[in-house]
Amino acid sequence: MLTTLGFGIQTASVLAIAAVGFTVQFGVTNVLNLAYGDVMTASAFAAYALSGVGVGGWWSLLIGGLFGALFSLALNHFLYTPFIRRGASLFVMIIVTISVGLITQNLLQAIWGSNFFSLHLSPGATIHPLGMVFTVSQLYIVLVAVACLLAFHGLLSTTKLGKAMRATAADPELARNSGIDTRRITSLAWMLSGFLCGLAGVALTLEIGSFDAGTGGALLVPIIAAAVLGGVGHPYGAMLGALVIGIATEFAATIISPTYKDAVAFAVLIVMLLVRPQGLLAEIATTKAVAA
Amino acid sequence: MSAAWQFYIATVLIYLAVDVTACLGLNLQYGYTGILNFAYIAFVAIGGYTYAVLTLGPQPRGSFQRYFFGASLPFPLPILAGAAAGGLLSAVLGAIALRRLRSDYQAMVFLVVSLVATSVVTNAVGLFNGAAGLSVIPKPLGSALNLSLLDYQWFYVGLTAAFAGLTYLVVHRITGSPLGRSLRAVRDAEHAAAALGKNVAGLRMTSFIVGGVIAGLSGALLVGSITAWSPSAWLYQETFVFFTALIVGGTANNAGAILGAILVPVVFLEAVRFLPQFGPPGLTEALQWVAIGTISLIFLWFWPRGVLPERRRVITLPGLPATARPDGSVAESPAAGTAP
Repeated sequence: MLTTLGFGIQTASVLAIAAVGFTVQFGVTNVLNLAYGDVMTASAFAAYALSGVGVGGWWSLLIGGLFGALFSLALNHFLYTPFIRRGASLFVMIIVTISVGLITQNLLQAIWGSNFFSLHLSPGATIHPLGMVFTVSQLYIVLVAVACLLAFHGLLSTTKLGKAMRATAADPELARNSGIDTRRITSLAWMLSGFLCGLAGVALTLEIGSFDAGTGGALLVPIIAAAVLGGVGHPYGAMLGALVIGIATEFAATIISPTYKDAVAFAVLIVMLLVRPQGLLAEIATTKAVAA
Repeated sequence: MSAAWQFYIATVLIYLAVDVTACLGLNLQYGYTGILNFAYIAFVAIGGYTYAVLTLGPQPRGSFQRYFFGASLPFPLPILAGAAAGGLLSAVLGAIALRRLRSDYQAMVFLVVSLVATSVVTNAVGLFNGAAGLSVIPKPLGSALNLSLLDYQWFYVGLTAAFAGLTYLVVHRITGSPLGRSLRAVRDAEHAAAALGKNVAGLRMTSFIVGGVIAGLSGALLVGSITAWSPSAWLYQETFVFFTALIVGGTANNAGAILGAILVPVVFLEAVRFLPQFGPPGLTEALQWVAIGTISLIFLWFWPRGVLPERRRVITLPGLPATARPDGSVAESPAAGTAP
C-alpha cells in the first residue's frame, strides 16, 4: 500500500512538472501545443547527447530544461507566431502543433533509430521513509520537482513577471492596455514552460530508466488528464491534478495491471469532464487571478 | 499488362476508394462542421474490428487468435454492422465530448481517446487479439463468388467504388442542403447560429455521427480487402494522414476531399514503395511521417485553403453593403442571385 503510494509520488512529481508547463503554455500563450510530449523527448535526447561528451548525471536535468526552453522559444518564434499573425484559426494552430510533434518524433526516430537509450545516474542507497521504497536518486528527483514547483509558485505570486503572466493569461487585451508587453511575456512564458517541459522530459527518463523517440508523446495522456483535472491554464490545479493522476494510475497499476495506466488516467479525465469540466480549482484560481 | 501489375493497380484502386470514403467522412466533420476529430482513425478501426468478428465466426477451440463474440453473418451485414459500430461509437463519444466541451478541449480529448483506444485494444488481448491483431478474416463473398484472385480483386474495386460513390452522394446531399448550410453556420459562428434558433449541439452531433458511420464503413471495407487488422495499423498518426489529405485537397469541398485522398494517402504514400530501401528498418517510415507533417505545414502556410478551395458563398441583399465574412475578407463583387 505505502510502496504503491511511493511510486505514485514519484510518478506524480514528474507529471506535475510536465503538467504545470503544459497548462501555463496553453494558459498564457493560448496555443494548445500538442507537440509538448515530443519536445520532452527531444530534450531527453539532447541531454543524452551531451552526457556522451561527459556532461551527464544531474547536469542532464539542467541541460534538458535549457534545451526545452530554447526549442519552445524557437517553435513559437519561427512557426507559431508567424502562423497566428497570418490569422490562423484555433483549429489550424492545433493542426500546426500536431504536425510539429509528428515531425519532431519521427526526426528523432530517423536519427537515433528504434532503440532504447538511458541516462545514467547512480541510484544510490535504497531508503524506506514511512514504509515507502525510494532510491536516493529517486528521492532527489521528487525533491527537484518540489523545489521547481515552489520556485515557480514564488515566481507567479511574488514577482512582477509572474503578475504580468497571470494578467496575460486572464485577459491579454486588458493586459496590453495596462502597459504589459504581452509579446515579451508570451516569449518568456514559452521559455519558462519549455524549461519545465525539458526538465520533465529528462526527469521522466531518469525515473523510468530508458526512453525512445515515442516516450514523451506517450506521456501526453496523463499530462492532458492532469491539466484538465486542474482546469486548463491553472498551474496549481495542474499540480493537484498530477498528484491525483499519478497516485491513481500507480494504484491501478498495482491492483489491475500496469498496462492500464493510460486507461485509468483517461477514465478520470472523462469522469471529470462529465462532472466538472471547468476543473477542480477553477473558481479558486479565477478569483486569485482577479484579486492578486 | 502482367497479372502482377493488374493486381497491384486493383489494390491501389481499392485503397483509393477506401481513402476517399474516409476523407469524405472526416471532411463532413472537420471541413463542414469544424469538429477536430483527432480520433477519426479509431472509428475506422472499430468498423474494421466489427467486420472482422462478424465474419470470422465463433472462435474455434485452440485457435491461434482470441477475440470476443464471433459470428459469421452473410454479406453485406458485416460491412453495414461496421458502419453502425462507427456511428454508435460517435454517439457515445459525442455525447461526452461534443456537448460539454470547448472545441480546443475537444481536440485534446479526441487525441487522448485515440491514444487510449490503441493502448486498450493492444493490452486487452481477449478483445481483438491484442497487438498481434486479427488475421485470416474472410473477404466479402470470397467463397460464394469463386473468382480467381485477380478477378476477385477487380470485383472488390467495384464494390468499394460503389460504396465510395454512395458516400459521396450522401455527403454531397447533406452539404448542399439547408442542413449543410446550418452545419457551416455552426462552424463559422456558433452563437449566431444558436441565436437564429439552430440546435447547435444537435447539428454537431448529426455531423459527428454521420462521419462516424462513414469512418466505420471505410474500416470495414479496408479490412475486407487486407483480411488482417491490428493496432499498429491505426495509430493516432493515421488520422493525420486524412487531415493532411483534406488540407492539401481543400477542406469543406467534397471534390477537394477526393483529390486529397488521391494525392496524399494514395500517390504520396504508394510512391514510396518504389524507392529503394535504405538505412535501418523504420527509417523510411519515419521520414515518411516527417514528410507528411511538413506537407501539411507547407500547405497551411502557402495554400491554407487547399488545391480546391471551399466555394465562396456570398449573399448580398439590395441596399446593403457587401458583408464581411468570418475569415475576415470582404466580398469583392455583389454576385447576387447565387444564394439559396
